[in-house]
Amino acid sequence: MIDALAAEWLKIRTVRSTLIVLVVLAVFVGLMALLAWYAAAAWDAMTPEQRSHMAVSDLPPLAEWVASLALAVLGVLTITGEYGTGMIRTTFAAMPTRGAVLTAKAGVVAAVAYVTGLAAVVATFSVTRLIMGGRPIPGQSPEPLSDRLPLFLAMAFSITMFALLGLFLGAITRSAAGSIAILVAVWHLVPIVVSHLPAPWDERIGSLMPAALAGQLAGVGNPDSVYGSLLPPLVALAVMAAYVAVPYGLAALRLNRGDA
Amino acid sequence: MWSVIEVNELTKRYGSAVAVDDLTFHVKPGQVTGFLGPNGAGKSTTMRVILGLDRPTSGQALVNGRRYAEMRRPMREVGALLDAGTVHGGRTALDHLRWLARSNRIGKDRVVSLLELVGLAGVARKRIRTFSLGMKQRLGIAAALLGDPDVLLFDEPVNGLDPDGVRWIRELMRGLAAEGRTVLLSSHLMSEMERTADHLVIIGRGRLIADTSVRELVGRFQRGVLVRSPRAGELAEALTTRGATVVTEPDGRLTVTGLDAVEIGDLAAGRAIPVHEVTPHTASLEDTYLRLTAETTAYASSPERTAR
Repeated sequence: MIDALAAEWLKIRTVRSTLIVLVVLAVFVGLMALLAWYAAAAWDAMTPEQRSHMAVSDLPPLAEWVASLALAVLGVLTITGEYGTGMIRTTFAAMPTRGAVLTAKAGVVAAVAYVTGLAAVVATFSVTRLIMGGRPIPGQSPEPLSDRLPLFLAMAFSITMFALLGLFLGAITRSAAGSIAILVAVWHLVPIVVSHLPAPWDERIGSLMPAALAGQLAGVGNPDSVYGSLLPPLVALAVMAAYVAVPYGLAALRLNRGDA
Repeated sequence: MWSVIEVNELTKRYGSAVAVDDLTFHVKPGQVTGFLGPNGAGKSTTMRVILGLDRPTSGQALVNGRRYAEMRRPMREVGALLDAGTVHGGRTALDHLRWLARSNRIGKDRVVSLLELVGLAGVARKRIRTFSLGMKQRLGIAAALLGDPDVLLFDEPVNGLDPDGVRWIRELMRGLAAEGRTVLLSSHLMSEMERTADHLVIIGRGRLIADTSVRELVGRFQRGVLVRSPRAGELAEALTTRGATVVTEPDGRLTVTGLDAVEIGDLAAGRAIPVHEVTPHTASLEDTYLRLTAETTAYASSPERTAR
C-alpha cells in the first residue's frame, strides 16, 4: 500500500492538470483580493448614506465553491486521464491489486484537496481581511480567524468530499465529461431544484445536499442559501462520509469486475 | 524443460464476439517464442489476460505457476510492453519510469541505466507526447525491463521502429533469451519472426493453428526436392524402392518427398544415373504462415476488388 501511495503521489505531482488546478486557485485568491481592494476604495469614497446601501458578501465560501469544483475536476482527471490514454493498463500491470490502486489514488487526492482547499479558503479570508482592514462593511463578519477556523476546516472537508466524489465518479463512468456533468448537477443544479420543493421537504432534503454539509458540520448552518440546516454536526459528518463511501464501493466494484 | 507461461483452455468473449477460443499453449524459458497471427487473431487479448488486465471468460493463464494478479511486485517477475500508447503524454520519460519503479520498489539507479540502455537518456526530461512512435516503443521496453524480470512479453515491439531499431530489438530479444529468460514476442509479420524466434505459436481467430519450432514448421511444409534427369523413369523407380514418393511433373521433372537432396544425389550416383538438377523446394516461412492463416484471417481483403 505504501508503494502504491508513493507511486500515485509521484503521478499526481508530474502531470500538468495538478499545476493548473493550483494556479486556478491562486488566481482566484488574487481576484478576491482585487474585489476586496475595490470594495475598500469604494467604501472610503462613500457618504454614510451610501454606505448603508452597500454590502459585500462573505468571501471564503466563494473560495470554497471554486476549490470544490477545481479539485473535483482534479479528482476526475486523476482516473479518467488514465483511461483516456490507456495508461490504466500500465498502472494495473504494475499494481495488479486494483482496490489498492483506487485507495492510493483516493489517499493522494484527499491529501491534495484538503491542504489546497484549506489554503484557498484561509488565504482568501486573510488577504481580504487584511485589505479591507477594520472597515465595518455590511456582510463582512468581524470575527477573527480563530473563531472562523472551525467553519474553514469543515469547508476543507467538504472540498475533499467533492474531490473524492470526482475520483470515484471518474472510476465508475471512465468519462471525464460525464463525471463533471454529474458533479455540477449534485453540486448546484439538484440543490436549486430541491429548494423549490414544498415545505418542509425543501429544508429536509436541502440539508442533505453535499454542499450543505460544511456549514452544518461547523454548527453555523447555511444562512442566506438554497440549502437546509437541519443536521447536527455529527450527522452532517456521517452524511459526508456516506457521499464518499458509497461511490468508493461502487468504483471498487467496477474496477474489480471489468477489463482494464 | 518446464513451462514459464501456461495458457490453458483460455476463452475470452467480448459480448457475443469470441476473441480467444479454447486456446492452450506453453512458453518455455531460454528461447524467444514468437506469437503470431493476423490482425484480430487474439494475440493482444491473450497477452492482456496473461497480465491480469482482462478477465478470461473461462480457462486461465499462469506465469511461474501463479496468476499474475496474485503477484505483489509483478514487475520484478514479468516485464511487459503492451502498446506504446499506454502512457500519459504529459509526463516526462524520466517521471514515467520513476513512478513505475517506485510502485514495485525498484531503485532509481535502474531508471537511469535503462534510459541509457534504450537510448533515451538525452530526452529523459522531455514530455512523452513529443516522442515519435519509435521512441515510445523504446520507453515501453525500458519500462518492461525495469524490474530485471525473467519473463518478458512484448506486443508488436517493432512497430514504428526504423531498421536500426528493428535490429536493436532483435538482438535485445535474442540476448534476453540467451540469458535464460522467457521471451514471448507477438507480431503479425512472419518475416520478423523468422530471424528472431526459436519457437512459434500461431493463432487465427482466437484458435491455435500451430505450436512448433521454426525448423519443424519449415520441414512440415517442405514441398519436396525437384530432380531433373535424362533417365527420369529409371531414377523414379529407384527412389520409390527406397521409400520416397515421386511425382512426375508435366515437364518431366520429378518432385521427390521422403528423401532429402543428399540421399537422392547419393542414390543416383550409386546407380550411375546422371542428374542435371537437384533443388530442395522449401516453402518460405512467409508462404507457410499465409497458407496456415488464410482461412482464419479476420479482415481479409476481397480478391475481386484488389485484382483491379
